[in-house]
Amino acid sequence: MTAVPTSGAAADPRRRRPAIGLIAGLVILGLSLLTAFLPGLVAPHDPLSFDYKAILHGPSLVHPFGTDNFGRDMLSRVIWAYRIDMQIAVFTTLFPILFGTMVGALVGFYDGIAAQIFGRIVDAVITFPFIVLVIAIVAVLGPGLGNMYIAVGMVGWVFYARLIAAEMRVQMRLDYAAAGRVLGYGDVRIIVRHLLPNAIGPVLVYWMTDMALSILLGSALGYLGLGARPPAAEWGVLIADGKNFMTTAWWMTIFPGVAIVLTGLGFSLLGDAVAELLRPRR
Amino acid sequence: MLSLRDLLNRMLQIIPTLIMIMAAVFIIVRLLPGDPASAILGDRGSAEDVARINTQLGLDQPIPVQFLYFVDRVLHGDLGTSITLGVPVAQLILERLPVTLLLTAMAALLAVVAAIPLAFLAAIRRGRGVDLTIGAFFQVGLSMPVFYTGIVFLTIFGAGLRWFPIGGYGDGLGEHLYHLFLPALTLAFSLSAVLMRNLRASIIDVLNADYVDFARSKGLAPRLVLLRHVLRNALVSTVTLFGLSVGTLVGGAVITETVFAVPGVGRLMIESIYGRDYPVVQGLAMTLAVVVSLVFLLVDIVQAMLDPRVSR
Amino acid sequence: MKRIIKASILAALFASASSTAMAVERGGILHYGRYADSIFLDPVFADSNVDIWILTNLYDTLLLPTDDGKGVRPGLASAWQLSPDSKTVTLTLRDGLFFSDGSPITAEDVKWSLDRARKPGNGLWGPDVESIDTITIADPKTIVLALKHPDPAILASLTVYNTAVVPEKILEALPGANDEEKAKVFSRHPVVSGPFMLDSWSRGTVMKLVANPHYWQKGSDGKPLPYLDGIDFEIIPDDATRILKLQAGELDGAELIPFPRVAELQADPKLDLKLFPSTRTSYITVSVRPQLSVGSPNPLSNDKVRQALNFAVDKDALVQIVTHGIGTPTSSFLSSATALHVGKGAVFPFDLAKAKTLLTEAGYPNGFATSIFVLAGSQDENTIAAALQQMWAAIGVKLDIQQVDNATRVAHYNKGDFSMRVGFWTDDTPDPSEAASYMAYYPHIQSLHTGWKNDEVDRLFTQSQSEIDPVARAAEYAQIQKIYNATAPLIFLYETPYAVALRKPVKGFNQIPLGINIFVGVSLEK
Repeated sequence: MTAVPTSGAAADPRRRRPAIGLIAGLVILGLSLLTAFLPGLVAPHDPLSFDYKAILHGPSLVHPFGTDNFGRDMLSRVIWAYRIDMQIAVFTTLFPILFGTMVGALVGFYDGIAAQIFGRIVDAVITFPFIVLVIAIVAVLGPGLGNMYIAVGMVGWVFYARLIAAEMRVQMRLDYAAAGRVLGYGDVRIIVRHLLPNAIGPVLVYWMTDMALSILLGSALGYLGLGARPPAAEWGVLIADGKNFMTTAWWMTIFPGVAIVLTGLGFSLLGDAVAELLRPRR
Repeated sequence: MLSLRDLLNRMLQIIPTLIMIMAAVFIIVRLLPGDPASAILGDRGSAEDVARINTQLGLDQPIPVQFLYFVDRVLHGDLGTSITLGVPVAQLILERLPVTLLLTAMAALLAVVAAIPLAFLAAIRRGRGVDLTIGAFFQVGLSMPVFYTGIVFLTIFGAGLRWFPIGGYGDGLGEHLYHLFLPALTLAFSLSAVLMRNLRASIIDVLNADYVDFARSKGLAPRLVLLRHVLRNALVSTVTLFGLSVGTLVGGAVITETVFAVPGVGRLMIESIYGRDYPVVQGLAMTLAVVVSLVFLLVDIVQAMLDPRVSR
Repeated sequence: MKRIIKASILAALFASASSTAMAVERGGILHYGRYADSIFLDPVFADSNVDIWILTNLYDTLLLPTDDGKGVRPGLASAWQLSPDSKTVTLTLRDGLFFSDGSPITAEDVKWSLDRARKPGNGLWGPDVESIDTITIADPKTIVLALKHPDPAILASLTVYNTAVVPEKILEALPGANDEEKAKVFSRHPVVSGPFMLDSWSRGTVMKLVANPHYWQKGSDGKPLPYLDGIDFEIIPDDATRILKLQAGELDGAELIPFPRVAELQADPKLDLKLFPSTRTSYITVSVRPQLSVGSPNPLSNDKVRQALNFAVDKDALVQIVTHGIGTPTSSFLSSATALHVGKGAVFPFDLAKAKTLLTEAGYPNGFATSIFVLAGSQDENTIAAALQQMWAAIGVKLDIQQVDNATRVAHYNKGDFSMRVGFWTDDTPDPSEAASYMAYYPHIQSLHTGWKNDEVDRLFTQSQSEIDPVARAAEYAQIQKIYNATAPLIFLYETPYAVALRKPVKGFNQIPLGINIFVGVSLEK
């Protein structure tokens, strides 16, 4: 704690690390995306076909990740799950980050009646336990991924809105925003060119976390039976399915878990790297 | 700093929020397919039984009329009676809410206690082994489904080491805290990961900012720089995030409470949604909204204290 | 594997019978893990398994079910007599009966309790005792039931919780506009006639029962039952946690052990895994209405289609996948533990060629698309549906799995607005009439809401309801099962025992085929 690095000493790791992190993150996510697009090329077996003679077999050469209680090949199921889980990560967060950032920026910048109303809506949505709201919405619309995207989209944006609004308020007190006004720039230009780039850092970092979290939300919904519909393979559902077998067939839960951790790691590394790149250079 | 007027203003703002939630929940629960009678009677009920019970409950009336009755009762301090359990909703909430509050508070405390020092360490040693190790550890925490982490903790610390009881709530505050430690740790595991990552990013931001260099150049002791400037400024966005997470934390409690057999409101909420126990869902949503609103208020106050620039 | 399981079923059968012969330890609290808490502890108004499976530990009935769940034995009534025309039941009350508050159980209490149970609108179980016309108290120890018509199931009905005896004076004195409101107040601090009484109850956590000091039954040591000082019912909803708590010795017993864990717990030297024979059957309910709710013709209305679907199910594989070899394919719509059950082997043995032929004859050579409701979050139901989806794909039937929550499903189901759903059945009375009336007799609930109506079955059932010749009644039931099973308004799956895990020192626990947990004879060895 005592040795705060001086600017000179810290310069090197600061420059190098984002590069390594960025590359590692991009490689992980790139491979994940590739798998998501072409699972058939990578998977050794059909993820849906039963084999009653190979029920709950441990990892072997034929089934490197073992088999599940239907005798389905776990490796193939984990691979095919990439398709669904990468979809979940992107689709559940895309609308929230775009819409939330926009609303948050406006609410943070303007102080009028509209901002007040938006603020109240944001409060109302955030105040209500998130997962309960999602469950209620999914229950109304019927389980399935499409409805999960809608449900999360309806509530998820407020997180971004609040985060960016708070950041915006901090940035607006800083000198350059005032300078922008003095120079006679329009609001849009001040928001987009000056405030947002400085305020967006935490949002991007949170976005990467959020993508990992949304995979987990998919898993929580899978646990409650409101997620991806069977027989589709999704990591969370795979883990939930393996719950009763944790002591007897660990491979049913561990391997999907590893896939979630690895993908989450990819998002985090990328998030850190992006934050680093966006950081104002001096 | 927040002035008293600001504070009152913020408190007044809670009222429209509550009204919105009240109306939304009232409508949402009634939009759910199925009805309390079906949930109570199950597969063996006949159509007449269903109609009879729904009439008894006043559910045959138009929704706006039902809403007016509901508002009227709430204004008289009556949250109604649980349809499935036959117990006053207020009594149920009084029994269950403290459990979840205690659980959430413990989880929040554990998360903060773990996140702050580790975030510092990671930020200062950015890119080194320590940073990577901390990052990897929290990455695992972030990626594990709560029900999985819960069972792993129970197996290791409960059944294996016998340090903690396996599920349940116990009698008396001491036992409550003891029983809630593992569930709180489970909840804290993912929350602290979110907080740690955000805080680490903020600290790095602040370390790069002009005023830190300025403070350093003024010759302030490094430790003082860290405490007075870095932590204070870095905490701003973390406090926001923390506030945001409280709602999520209560949501996460749903599964944690099930895994650890903790009788909190998360479990009650899910059971009541599944049981179409309208009065309980409504009462709980209201109460949780009040609690979370108060937490937000607190967050705003803390934020204003940390960052004089945010006063409004 | 299979042999071990069969052996433990047998062991479970004899366990309760033999345990009374040995010397027993007295005292101790039994900690028993349940998956969900009770809701309403009133014998008439309770309607879910979480209540009725434990109610008879609190409330005693005039007669008690035998351990195999098929017959009756004396309870509060020490003797009973049926008149030759089977229209009168005379019951003799035991001497020295007391409620848990020490007040005597009188013939008036018995009459009042039965009247409350049969009043229309009071709970779901009234039809059970619908045949009773009048109840008279001949003398303080004798109660006479005059029946509207001969009722072969009347004695069985007197073992069912809804006919349990409750204190008239106390209930009448409670506030409330009707029986149900009074029952709600009563059930919070009930005064009971059974072996245990409610001590304290924190909902969702633990329900504590203590021994009723005034209980009439005597143990093998000649002293009053129960042996235990009390029972703590601890609510642990998550299966894995419940089992972990049992393995750590924090619980003495745990119910509803998932089948994937059975073999593992059987191997645990500290545990005694019981597989109690049960009346629980699993099946797929099929709507046989000619049209679906959207207005299109319903392929499932064709008998041949349903037969084809039945033939296409590989029961042995299903039993392996879902129950890990513990279940057996059902041989009739009545479970094999239900009286008057007829059948051997699967109703429709797995035969893919036959299934294809039938489907072609029905006009669906290339199959069709249909859907099934499964309970969201239920591992068993989802596994069943996933297996069927795969098995039926072989005959071109495309099954869409729709996960819904219970209330949603019930609402659709009760309106007949569904194609298929997973279903489970457990008898609550030790007589086949309950299962037959719900499943096969249309006027009751449209044959499990399938819309299946067979006039011959309806006629046979009505006839059997007042048939007092046991041979004739058995023949009627054989015919009902033959017709029902052949036309298959259900997809028949399998039947499974109740899996309960106990610590070794726990002796004398029984769960009868009706699902009812019996703790009166439980003792804890030191």
